[in-house]
Amino acid sequence: MTDSDMMMEIRDANLNYLMLAQQMIRADKATAIFRLGISKEIAELLEGLSNAQLIKLAVSNMMLARFRFEDSTILGMLTKYNKDKAISHATILMAGQPVEGFV
Amino acid sequence: MSQKSVVNESNQIQLAIELINLGARLQLLEAHTTLSRERLIKLYKELKGKSPPKGMLPFSTDWFLTWQPNIHASIFLNIYNFLLKNAGIEGIVAITKAYRLYLQQAEIESDEEPVLSLTRAWTLVRFVESNMLKTQSCKCCNGQFVVDAYDLNHDYVCNLCHVPSRAGKTKKAKEAAEKASALSA
Repeated sequence: MTDSDMMMEIRDANLNYLMLAQQMIRADKATAIFRLGISKEIAELLEGLSNAQLIKLAVSNMMLARFRFEDSTILGMLTKYNKDKAISHATILMAGQPVEGFV
Repeated sequence: MSQKSVVNESNQIQLAIELINLGARLQLLEAHTTLSRERLIKLYKELKGKSPPKGMLPFSTDWFLTWQPNIHASIFLNIYNFLLKNAGIEGIVAITKAYRLYLQQAEIESDEEPVLSLTRAWTLVRFVESNMLKTQSCKCCNGQFVVDAYDLNHDYVCNLCHVPSRAGKTKKAKEAAEKASALSA
């Protein structure tokens, strides 16, 4: 994969993410806040962005969505140990995490 | 006495329909809508094609502390608390939204009937609000789990970090496993 290919992929992923997030927020804000793990302020901001703004935001050489597993326990749980209840456990832990918000 | 408003009434009916479809019992409907009991019963019959179940609601906190229900109750309560804290909604709206999210979560694990019903979820929220149950963080994984408010929860380890020896080994699970092995053989 060349550098320019990678940039293209990142842009695509960014745009996909932003569009999906916007749709989710417009459909049901509270549920979207839970699913995306973002704060209400960010959700409201994303909701109001125009398509032109979305594209502008997506064109960047960095990923806009960040990895949500800052805690290694959750990540280990989802990937390593293969018990039936791993998903439940991870859900409980993830719901307890703080949201991404403005500082 | 509040004035009768058609819009308000239609909203109430919408809410009642949503709750009935999610499996609410009559007591929950009476507590969260302003509709009369007669109308709620009528609505219930129309939607479900049968009379609402009679009798008292389950009133024991113990159910929420047994192994599998405790996990499901903890999932629901964590989602509910997240919504209260971050999404700016409350009351019955938060309960129904959290319950829908919980159902989707429970579906991933098995396609059987969900462990926690809407009425149970509502009861759980009431128990927590009246300080009979609370959440306690597990000292092993730091997750928040439903515990009895009057138990000694000092060194609490959750049901998932420390699974009880016979947990989940029900007759049903055994039959399902036998069926699966018979199919693969």
